[in-house]
Amino acid sequence: MEDEFELLRDTVRTFSEKNLDEKKIESEGITENTIQNIASQGFLGARIPSKFGGSELDEKSYNIILQELSKYSPSVAMRIFILNSLYYPLAKNTELESTLSDASSGKLNVTVDFLNNNRIDGEKFNGIVHDILNANSNKIIVFGKNPAVVDGGTIEEKDFMGFRGLKFGDIKVDSDLQYLNTTSTLNDVLENSYNAISSINLGLISGALDKAMEYSTIRKAFDYTLSSYEPVAFNLSKMISQKNILENILNSNIDSFYALNFSMNIIVETTRYALNVHGGYGYFSDFGVEKFYRDAMVMKSIFYGNSELKNLSEHVFGNKIRFI
Amino acid sequence: MFDELNDYRKKIREFALKEFTEDVSKKYDRNEEFPFDIAKKALSLGMIDMENPAKILIAIEEMCRVDAGLGISATLPYFGGEVLLLFGNDGQKKILNDVYQGKVMLGLGITEPSGGSDVAGLKTFAKKSGNKYILNGSKMFISNGAIADYLVVLARTSEEEKRHQGLSTFLVNTKLKGFKATKLENKLGVRATNTAEIEFNDVELSEGDLIGEEGKGFYYIMTFFNISRIYVAGQALGISEGAFDKIKSYVKTMNLADEQTMFDVADVSTRIEAAKQLTYNAASYLFKYDPKPELTSMAKAYSGETAVYSSEKAMEITGKSPDESIQRIFRNAKIMEIWEGTSEVEKLVISKQILKGD
Ligand SMILES: Cc1cc2nc3c(=O)[nH]c(=O)nc-3n(C[C@H](O)[C@H](O)[C@H](O)COP(=O)(O)OP(=O)(O)OC[C@H]3O[C@@H](n4cnc5c(N)ncnc54)[C@H](O)[C@@H]3O)c2cc1C
Repeated sequence: MEDEFELLRDTVRTFSEKNLDEKKIESEGITENTIQNIASQGFLGARIPSKFGGSELDEKSYNIILQELSKYSPSVAMRIFILNSLYYPLAKNTELESTLSDASSGKLNVTVDFLNNNRIDGEKFNGIVHDILNANSNKIIVFGKNPAVVDGGTIEEKDFMGFRGLKFGDIKVDSDLQYLNTTSTLNDVLENSYNAISSINLGLISGALDKAMEYSTIRKAFDYTLSSYEPVAFNLSKMISQKNILENILNSNIDSFYALNFSMNIIVETTRYALNVHGGYGYFSDFGVEKFYRDAMVMKSIFYGNSELKNLSEHVFGNKIRFI
Repeated sequence: MFDELNDYRKKIREFALKEFTEDVSKKYDRNEEFPFDIAKKALSLGMIDMENPAKILIAIEEMCRVDAGLGISATLPYFGGEVLLLFGNDGQKKILNDVYQGKVMLGLGITEPSGGSDVAGLKTFAKKSGNKYILNGSKMFISNGAIADYLVVLARTSEEEKRHQGLSTFLVNTKLKGFKATKLENKLGVRATNTAEIEFNDVELSEGDLIGEEGKGFYYIMTFFNISRIYVAGQALGISEGAFDKIKSYVKTMNLADEQTMFDVADVSTRIEAAKQLTYNAASYLFKYDPKPELTSMAKAYSGETAVYSSEKAMEITGKSPDESIQRIFRNAKIMEIWEGTSEVEKLVISKQILKGD
């Protein structure tokens, strides 16, 4: 069984090394060709049932895919995450099931207003849906009193520093609102995604550390390699051990709350330090390390706020806690 | 020293708020374009009084508070000027008048592709030949590199002595034959500033281009860093305050009152106040010609870390309502821990100074 997971990990890694150039993806977006490639590998619809054209993988395999892909292309990992962890759970057993096979094959792009900055109710919607990641989608799940879906529209792009391979912006929508016959809420879906979110975090951390480890053993300052200086060696060693702990937490299926909490506590510091080790070069995109710091900060700021900390505390204190 | 300048501070802030609008800041950031008009305007209006260092510090802080990309660009044409002011000959000093008026742009070339922290390890060589020097080598990440009229360049002039003793500074006219600048693109932040890689291929310098005495370059540059690091602390302070402005306005607009947010507000403002005290304290020694390198390095390192801390907190607090201007602050902040001596280099300076003597 373990061998199977390792095989999958190798497959994703080999695929990513060959096909994913995040610098290009950040400037040109994820091309149709790349989408076709990740779909034909079965990564795009990883968690979606085979009757809808997905790969119907177990959670651990899905997490491995996210971990490995986000080392190379956080944008691609995010697109897969949006489909499998957010859209699919809201769409399943609803009228939207019919969109899943096209979404798994890459014919249809879909997204969810997971930043939840819009309140959309009524029968029709003609207006702006704000702050949507993966904005060039054909279907967008939005939230008002209930989850509903609208068709995509014209995008007014905004600069968003994370996951730049995906479009981000406000969308001018003129569409019927189709309510989803589901009891799931955005909060439920996000809570069930903690392991997937932590897997992306792990990928960002590993990607950044791989670069820093390599650079620190090549680059010299004051005649010695950077890794021969205590602050560099100690910090990187501490961060590698934290990364290993995170890997173990995710592998051992300990509570997903803990994985989320631990990964969010180390993600920004680690990716920032990885950039730092590169000195001035780290500040430029050529070395492919600053993107991890940007993406990490975005992960922390959008998926780890007061509400997640409240969830965690309620989990720890068993709902006995009251917040002022 | 600084309280007396409150009116000046107000004037600079008004200028920055008027000129560095969100649209303008966004444009230069997106296009990675140097804001020539803004830089000229700031200087020609006498907004930046280059002859009073306390005013320079305040101008830098207030401009970076509104937008660091534009604020640094507007205050960087003078970068390296103190080397000329302190050690240059009369002809070299004359250039400074044109710099003050925004007619001439300077830059400083120390870092090389093979290293920036280890200044004494640099390889660019100026070989004496008759009454000329022939300059060969390359410089990396040079601010204003592709747009400057002159660069103050640190180069090796002798191999025999101890590494740091064989270095000299030159004023290099960028129009000279053999000078080549290539603009570097795709920076994380401060994208309005111009950064370039420089190559010197048999650039012929005259003896008059030497700044001060041969072999004293390392000492001149370390003296310069003891001044310029205060200004970087000012940039970082401005960025921190800009981040805090965003936090405050968000917390108020959203009516946030939970304790976690209140603690963040308290922590960020406390650190900014500490960075400010440290920076102004170090600056007040320096501006009275009694520099304390350990205080200067503390101010630079601590303010730099505070800029990063404050900008990350601003991202955390506002992150679910993405705001380009806050992301720009975050992207700008990290450079504060890198240029003019990384935080690690500052820590080496601080401990060395503190442990020196009794
Ligand atoms: C946008 C930008 C503008 C710049 N403008 C200028 C300019 O105008 N002029 C100029 O001369 N330079 C400029 N620089 C260069 C900048 O000053 C250098 O990048 C900086 O000094 C670090 O040098 P480095 O990049 O070679 O890093 P390195 O020296 O290679 O260091 C890499 C990392 O190792 C760490 N390190 C090194 N030695 C040790 C040690 N002994 N112990 C612990 N850690 C250590 C460093 O702190 C750093 O984190 C600029 C850089 C940037 C990014």
